[in-house]
Amino acid sequence: MNAVSVDGLSMTYRVPVREAGLKAAFRSLVHRRYREVQAVRDLSFEIPHGQVVGLLGPNGAGKTTAMKLMSGLLHPTAGSVDVLGFTPWQRRTPFLKQIALVRGSRPTGGAQELTVLDSLQYQRVLYGIPDTDYHAGLDELIGLLGLGPLLHRQLRALSLGQKMRAGLALSLLYRPKVLFLDEPTLGLDVSAATAVRRFLAEYTGQSGATVVLTSHYMADVESLCRRLILVDHGRVQYDGPLERLSAQLSPYKLLRISAPAATKENFEGVAEAVATHGVSWELRVPRDDIARVTAHLLTTLDVIDLAVEEPSLETVLDRVYREGL
Amino acid sequence: MRTSRLIALAVRNQFLEWAGTWWFTVSLVVNYAVGPLIGLVVWSAVLPGDEVIVRYFVALTAVHLLTASFEDYTFAESVYDGTVGHQLLEPQPVVLGPAGANLAIRLWLGLFGLPLTVTVALVTGASYRWQAVLLALPSLVLAALLRFLWTWLLALTAFWTERVHAIVGFGNILVFVFGGIAAPLGDLPGSWQTAAALLPFHAMLGLPAGIAAGMLSGSGTAVALQAGWCVVLTAGAMAVWRSGVRRYTAVGA
Repeated sequence: MNAVSVDGLSMTYRVPVREAGLKAAFRSLVHRRYREVQAVRDLSFEIPHGQVVGLLGPNGAGKTTAMKLMSGLLHPTAGSVDVLGFTPWQRRTPFLKQIALVRGSRPTGGAQELTVLDSLQYQRVLYGIPDTDYHAGLDELIGLLGLGPLLHRQLRALSLGQKMRAGLALSLLYRPKVLFLDEPTLGLDVSAATAVRRFLAEYTGQSGATVVLTSHYMADVESLCRRLILVDHGRVQYDGPLERLSAQLSPYKLLRISAPAATKENFEGVAEAVATHGVSWELRVPRDDIARVTAHLLTTLDVIDLAVEEPSLETVLDRVYREGL
Repeated sequence: MRTSRLIALAVRNQFLEWAGTWWFTVSLVVNYAVGPLIGLVVWSAVLPGDEVIVRYFVALTAVHLLTASFEDYTFAESVYDGTVGHQLLEPQPVVLGPAGANLAIRLWLGLFGLPLTVTVALVTGASYRWQAVLLALPSLVLAALLRFLWTWLLALTAFWTERVHAIVGFGNILVFVFGGIAAPLGDLPGSWQTAAALLPFHAMLGLPAGIAAGMLSGSGTAVALQAGWCVVLTAGAMAVWRSGVRRYTAVGA
């Protein structure tokens, strides 16, 4: 049984367009022109209960649109979505009580003059959380998110990082079964982003919630997701384990070597030197040649240190975004 | 039961929200009181010594404050800044939020505005029969509902246009002209008087004020018409809401 099933999902926006200038402005009063923008095309995938999935892609790839379709904020042009047995855009109350959409760009909604505790109490009534569950959940979230000092502060007075923590607490208080996280660490400093990542890892481990995450920060993806769905131009370009992504999308590995006597000439015809720092070299080597090249370098150079690494997810995705698959 | 709890909670939240901007509430009280008070001065000069006209405009000040509606701010802005997305994903009808805000703002306006109205009543010597005031209460409740529905209906145009304040501003002009601020119903020219009696605007303001002032006889029909307009505007608001949300969720939230 899947928590989320997406089948042939497409979303087309109709956006008004006109040329620049006064004449075009007047013409548009009587004759409006539109252009169709296909944000999501024939998207299909399934997510089992309890899985944490990263939905990745470059800007404008259709990730946020897909999140809004799955959470019920948008009505698709074609296709179907099933989340916990519900059609999201019908926004039935039992469905809304089991999902949460957390957006890094807007972590908290509602009255901003209220304190965090006021807002949490509002959630308690809104989601019909029994008193015992509320207090237990609140204590847990206070511990995990370090909310204690924020409880009596107004939402509007919180920093972005604090707002994100409060937003997560508000969204997780009712223990949603499916969590849509849209750029949860957007704009956060290193410490705040790390704290949010640590919390999400602990929460998903404990609660067994199904999570769909979009993020431009690879650290988010690497620390939380075992499965990636790569979307570009509205289509799924890759769907599989995080570990296989590099192997499938990048035909190279990185070979880091420290050799005091090495010069660029030593690597010519053997590997591509992509960077050098003092006696250390970073070489790009075709996957199939890694054993042969390593052996060659060890026999021809006085090597102090050597390491073979997968290219970083960031590097792989950058290449995919720029050059396509 | 749950709905009434949620409305009570929304009122409480919005009451607290507005507590942070009490100075703004005072400016709203002045804005809302000034129209009927100018009417009081002008019409007292036109009809010197007319106690009914004084009673009417003092009552109208209170009604104007207690039926004030700002859905072009409390709701339409949430469409523009996208926070309506939060509301759409909450397990409650979205209208409960703006309705709660509406009631909370009226509470604040009442807290600051009613002492002002009582002061004006004492200064001008306006006195009321308690039976007339009691009789006006059902009409006041319907007027409050009607005005909320009217402003909510106009604020829903935020789904289609970014000029919602102009649209609500035009709606408020209609309330000013036909609602009984520019002139009491009985003092409007013939055809205007007929139109004002049939349109919903007089039922939003002048009707409860007129009943409290004891200047409307046979107000039962007018209250029935007022209730009828509530039904019509509720149906209209529901249809526009459905259409607006359909558009919002089709073109991008």
